[in-house]
Amino acid sequence: MEKELPIDILSSVQKPVRYTGGEFGSIIKSATETEVFIALAFPDVYEVGMSYLGFQILYYLLNKKQGIAAERVYAPWIDIESKMRENGIPLCTLETGRKLSECDIVGFTLQYELSYTNILNMLNFGGIPLLAIERNEDDPFVIVGGPCVYNPEPLADFFDLAIIGEGDEVLIELMECYKNWKKNGRKGGRLGFLHLAIQIKGIYVPSFYMAVYKENGTISAVKPIDDLAPSEVNKRVISNLNEIDFPDTTVVPFGKIVHDRIMLEVFRGCTRGCRFCHAGMIYRPVRERKPEILKELGRKLIASTGYNEISLVSLSTADYSCLTTLIHDMVDEFKDKRVSVSLPSLRIDSFCVDIAREVQAVRKSGLTFAPEAGSQKMRNVINKGVTEDDLINAVGAAFSSGWSSVKLYFMLGLPEETDDDVLAIADLVKKVQQKYFQVTGRRGAKITVSVSSFVPKPYTAFQWVGQDDIKILRHKQFLLKDALKIKNVTFQYHDAKTSVIEAVFARGDRRLGKALLLAWKKGARFDGWNDCFSYERWLESIREAGLDIDFYAARIREKNEVFPWEHIQPGIERNFLWREWEKAKKRQLTQDCRRGTCNGCGVCQKLGVNIIDWKSGEAW
Amino acid sequence: MVKLRMQITKERDIRFISHLEYVRTLERAIRRAQLPAAYSEGFNPHMKFSLASALGVGVVSYAEFMEIELTEPMKPEEAVKKLSASLPSGIRIVAADAVESETDSLMSQAGFASYRITLPYSDNLNDVVEAFNVAVILPFKKLAHKRKGGVKEIDVKFYIPCITAVQQEGKTVLTFDCRITHEGSMKAVDLLNVLNEHWGITLPIEKADIERLALYRTDAKGNKKLMLGENIYKAGQGEEKYDLRE
Repeated sequence: MEKELPIDILSSVQKPVRYTGGEFGSIIKSATETEVFIALAFPDVYEVGMSYLGFQILYYLLNKKQGIAAERVYAPWIDIESKMRENGIPLCTLETGRKLSECDIVGFTLQYELSYTNILNMLNFGGIPLLAIERNEDDPFVIVGGPCVYNPEPLADFFDLAIIGEGDEVLIELMECYKNWKKNGRKGGRLGFLHLAIQIKGIYVPSFYMAVYKENGTISAVKPIDDLAPSEVNKRVISNLNEIDFPDTTVVPFGKIVHDRIMLEVFRGCTRGCRFCHAGMIYRPVRERKPEILKELGRKLIASTGYNEISLVSLSTADYSCLTTLIHDMVDEFKDKRVSVSLPSLRIDSFCVDIAREVQAVRKSGLTFAPEAGSQKMRNVINKGVTEDDLINAVGAAFSSGWSSVKLYFMLGLPEETDDDVLAIADLVKKVQQKYFQVTGRRGAKITVSVSSFVPKPYTAFQWVGQDDIKILRHKQFLLKDALKIKNVTFQYHDAKTSVIEAVFARGDRRLGKALLLAWKKGARFDGWNDCFSYERWLESIREAGLDIDFYAARIREKNEVFPWEHIQPGIERNFLWREWEKAKKRQLTQDCRRGTCNGCGVCQKLGVNIIDWKSGEAW
Repeated sequence: MVKLRMQITKERDIRFISHLEYVRTLERAIRRAQLPAAYSEGFNPHMKFSLASALGVGVVSYAEFMEIELTEPMKPEEAVKKLSASLPSGIRIVAADAVESETDSLMSQAGFASYRITLPYSDNLNDVVEAFNVAVILPFKKLAHKRKGGVKEIDVKFYIPCITAVQQEGKTVLTFDCRITHEGSMKAVDLLNVLNEHWGITLPIEKADIERLALYRTDAKGNKKLMLGENIYKAGQGEEKYDLRE
């Protein structure tokens, strides 16, 4: 350990357990058995980072390999950061207390745009030069992955390479590559390693590309400037989840974390095709795990962790082809062990309420539905294939099964949205209350309405649209707030300012690196936390970088505009996305391709993969 | 039904986990070890499990006592073997026994806890220690509730009759017993507050390394007795320099 955190520091901060490690299941390898040392760095607090399944998978896979040691590091909360800095204690990994700058590789996951300043802060705190060009032979390689990696350009100055797509295989390949480079006496220095790494499929090295801009500020082209750099980097994807390893054990935290339960990944991908949804595009195609494998993994995870809840996770677990039997079998088998089975989300139909009733057998929880929009027009625009009847039937089933409170999720600021559409949310809420009266003969159903502001994301049908101006977003929030002043209805919404900054970085380009650096220097960190976020600081930083917020967030993009992220490919055809945008404007729906016809998104063809669905016990 | 009782530790590397986190950790370890633990009835069944005395965050202990009700009898040796393999480093089992489930809970029996506090402090403390030990009453306002505020006046000497101090190499080591009653006890760290307040010294409380060395019950005459019964299975060492079975 570099320098142990002393008693007086730990006893004066909130939740010291965030910083002391030693959890059951954490893996400590000695320096002598380790050839390559990677820190899995999550740019948010421990409780959030520990709940991230992606790192649980990678931690397991990496540590299983001989010669590779993967350790964890999270963003220290502001209370301990100042004390550590005062005492000259750098940011270290939890397992062996290794300073970040002494790792071979430091890998950050890009989960949300507002965590980017934390990445800069963690690098600096760990003694690593912020800019990739300032790193020398002794510094680690800073790598990134995760969902925001499909537009990593605002961070291009700060990382050495990115892993595009699912990391299960490619990260191991990269580690082997590093070992070989090290064995060969680090031939060619840092550049030598990057040249080896870029030959692995799915690796993107930003310094091997140059962005050229037009006079109006848009991109003219992003060109490779290194002979080995491909013109586009395709994502890596696991073709069959049944043939890869999944953790049968995890690190079990001492304290409560956000997702304090076993997370069992049922499938990857979602092809429902909601037009706002980034995850629904970048994780295609749908690939299910076999029920037998899931049950076996469930058994092992329960035995190895001691958790009393197992959650079947995916982008839309209700769509799992064998859900009914899987849940039935699991509930039945695990109830003697006092383990409950849960689902992270429900689809809006009565089938799901039946399922919810079953999983409630051990423990009771509230029900949450996500209609996303209030009017049928808007639900068609976003291709949420749900009607008012579906929702009313679903809540009706819930109410007659004994639930008396539901939570409903909506978005404000969607393209094509008018004030009438916003008010339709309130109408829908009233209909849900009426349904409760109709079913139970009583009034007083508790309804929580949670509303977020829409952020246009790259590689979605809405990548061309301008985000609502902050004034419009606020107007809509207040309009709805007034309309929802109804007894037993709780209205929750987020500050629209954070959504604007999120929008800037979601579809931003390399020039934003300067704004990011300025904001960090002015003290920005934990921007995803309301008490730390400062809109004024961001306005100032973006302005000082010579950039314009509206250019990134509010501007409507031309049909043929070249986007900053198109050299990084999840395999989605641009034409398909444009067609979806056109259909959105015509309120036309697109069916799920999972069991229907191909809609031509291009992923399967481009990446040579197929949908895997166990509906009839066979892969389709 | 039987109750399994164990003396376990909370060592340096996990000293900063809270009482609640310690409880959750043990419950999960018991589940991993697949001990036949009994659960309460109802919608939210909970494990019939308890700890003898809550320990403050940051305090190391070689003498935590837990009880688990089992649905079927199990030899302490076997339970210790299974549970040991399921504990995170930082928790070890020192001793165990099994009793009828009707036996009074350990919680209700605990009468004294022994503590050692090590501080970076070199000013001579002899006079203060002597004054403390001869004092008949020492009133102190302890915080009754951390968040709600509010204080409760207690007599420190009722809880801590006597302290000893050893000072060398810039360090001060205080050892003492602290009484535990059904109405509560006194936090070890508060002894330092008392010394600072009454004698105007400046012990660096934030740097105090506090260890609970042992927990005792008392018999009718007020004599110290070991927490577990006579026929205990001794699984390992508590604190090396401190013999549990004096």
